[in-house]
Amino acid sequence: MAETSKVLDVAGVSKRFGDIEVLSDVSFQVDKGETICVLGPSGSGKSTLLRCINWLERPDAGQIYLNGERIGINNAGIVMGDRELSKIRTRIGMVFQHFALWPHLTVLQNLMEAPVQVQKRPKAEVYDEALALLAKVGLSDKRDAFPAKLSGGQKQRVGIARALAMRPDLLLFDEPTSALDPELVGEVLVVMRDLAREGMTMVIVTHEMAFARDAATRVLFLDRGRAVETGSPDRFFSNPETERARQFLQRYAGDTANNKR
Amino acid sequence: MSGGDIAAIFQGAIVTVTLSFIGILIGLPIGLGLALLRWANVPFAAKVVTLYVSILRATPLVTLLLLLFFALPNIGVPINPISAAILALVMNTSAFNCEVWRSALMNFPKDQYEAAQSVGMTAEQRFRRIVLPQIVRVSLPGLVNEMSLLIKVTPVLAVVGVVDITRAAVRIGAQTYEPLPPFLVAVALYAPIVFALVSLQRWIERRQVAAEAAA
Repeated sequence: MAETSKVLDVAGVSKRFGDIEVLSDVSFQVDKGETICVLGPSGSGKSTLLRCINWLERPDAGQIYLNGERIGINNAGIVMGDRELSKIRTRIGMVFQHFALWPHLTVLQNLMEAPVQVQKRPKAEVYDEALALLAKVGLSDKRDAFPAKLSGGQKQRVGIARALAMRPDLLLFDEPTSALDPELVGEVLVVMRDLAREGMTMVIVTHEMAFARDAATRVLFLDRGRAVETGSPDRFFSNPETERARQFLQRYAGDTANNKR
Repeated sequence: MSGGDIAAIFQGAIVTVTLSFIGILIGLPIGLGLALLRWANVPFAAKVVTLYVSILRATPLVTLLLLLFFALPNIGVPINPISAAILALVMNTSAFNCEVWRSALMNFPKDQYEAAQSVGMTAEQRFRRIVLPQIVRVSLPGLVNEMSLLIKVTPVLAVVGVVDITRAAVRIGAQTYEPLPPFLVAVALYAPIVFALVSLQRWIERRQVAAEAAA
C-alpha cells in the first residue's frame, strides 16, 4: 500500500449519527513530519474525523491506514476486536479538549501508566523518558502533583507529554486549547510549535487561526462533513479557493478584531 | 444475668460479625459484577440484572429468607439455616451494592475512559487501572452505609433459628425474666461493630487525602 513517507491515509471516510451525515467521503493524507490543521465551523465534523482515525468512533465507510496498515479492519476483513484495536492505538497519541488526565494518578504516573502497563517497557527507562518529557513541556516541578492541582494550561501540557510518552507515530489534537482561559493558550501552543519543528507528525483540530497559519504545513478545511479545501496555510489564508472558506475566514477575522488576544 | 449469659451474647456477636462479614465479602463483588453488566449494556444480561435488582430491592429480607429456607427444600434443594441466612444476605446486599456501583460508573467521565483507549489499554486494563480505583473511592460512603445497614438487619436471621446478638439477648431475658441487662449488652455490642466499619472507611479516606496533600 502507501509509500513509506505516508503516515496517515484517510480514504473516503463517512460517518452518520442517526439521520445526520457528520462526515461524507472525507479523504486526505499526512506525510511524515507534517502538521495538518483541520479547520472549519463548529459542527463541521472535525472532531468526529479525528475520533474516526483512532476508531474511538467507528466510521460507517472508508478506509484509514497508519503507515500502510489498515485501522479497524484486520487482514481477514473483519472488524478488529478490543485487543487488535488497542494494539494499533498505541501508535496514535491523542490530546483531548478537556485534558482527560487520570485524576487518581500523579503527573508522573499519568505519563508512565501506558508505557509500563501497555507497552511493558522497563520502568527505569520509562521513568527517565517521562522526566525528560516533563522538562520539555516545562513541568519538571509538577511531577508528583495530582492533576487537580494544575492550571488548565499545565494540564494540557501533561496531556501532550502523556501522549508523547508512548512514542507514537502520529499525534491527534482535538481542540487542545478550546477549554483554556485565553492567557493560558500560549503556553500550550508553544509546546505544539516545538513538536511541529521537531518533525512530529500531527493532525490538529483547532480554532487558533494564527497558529494554523504559521505552524501548519497544510490546512484541511471541513464544512458540513466534507473536505472542501486543502492546501498550504499561506494560500488558504490569503487566497482561499472556495466561497465557504472565504466566509469562514471573514467571520474569524471579524472575531479576532473584536476581541484581540 | 450470669457470666455464662454474657458469654452467650458474645457468642451471638461472633455469629453476627461472621455472617455480616461473609455477606459483605460476597455481596460486594457480585454487586460490582451486576453493575458492570448493566453499565456495559450486555444484551439480555443487563435486562436480567435490572429485573433482579428491582425484585430484590422490593423484597423484605425476612420474607426472602423464609422463602429460601422453606421453599428450596420443597424443590429438592436442602438448605441449613446458616446457608439460607448467608444466601439471603448476599442476594439482598448485592442488589443494593449494584446500584451504588452503578451510579459511580454512570458518572465516570467519558473522556478519561477514551484517553485510556487512546493509549491502547485493553478493556481489562481500562477497568482495573483507570475505572476501578476511582469508582471505589466514589462508592465507598454508599457502600459502607449499605454494610452498616446489613449488620443491623441481621437480627431477622433469627426467624430460621440463627442465634445472633439479639436472639441471644431475647433468650436470656426469657429465662431470667430480666430483659433489661441482656438488651443493654446487645445494644452496646452493635455500636462498636458498626463503629469499626466506619473507622475503616475514615482511615481509607484520610489516607487518600494525605497522599494528595503530600504531593
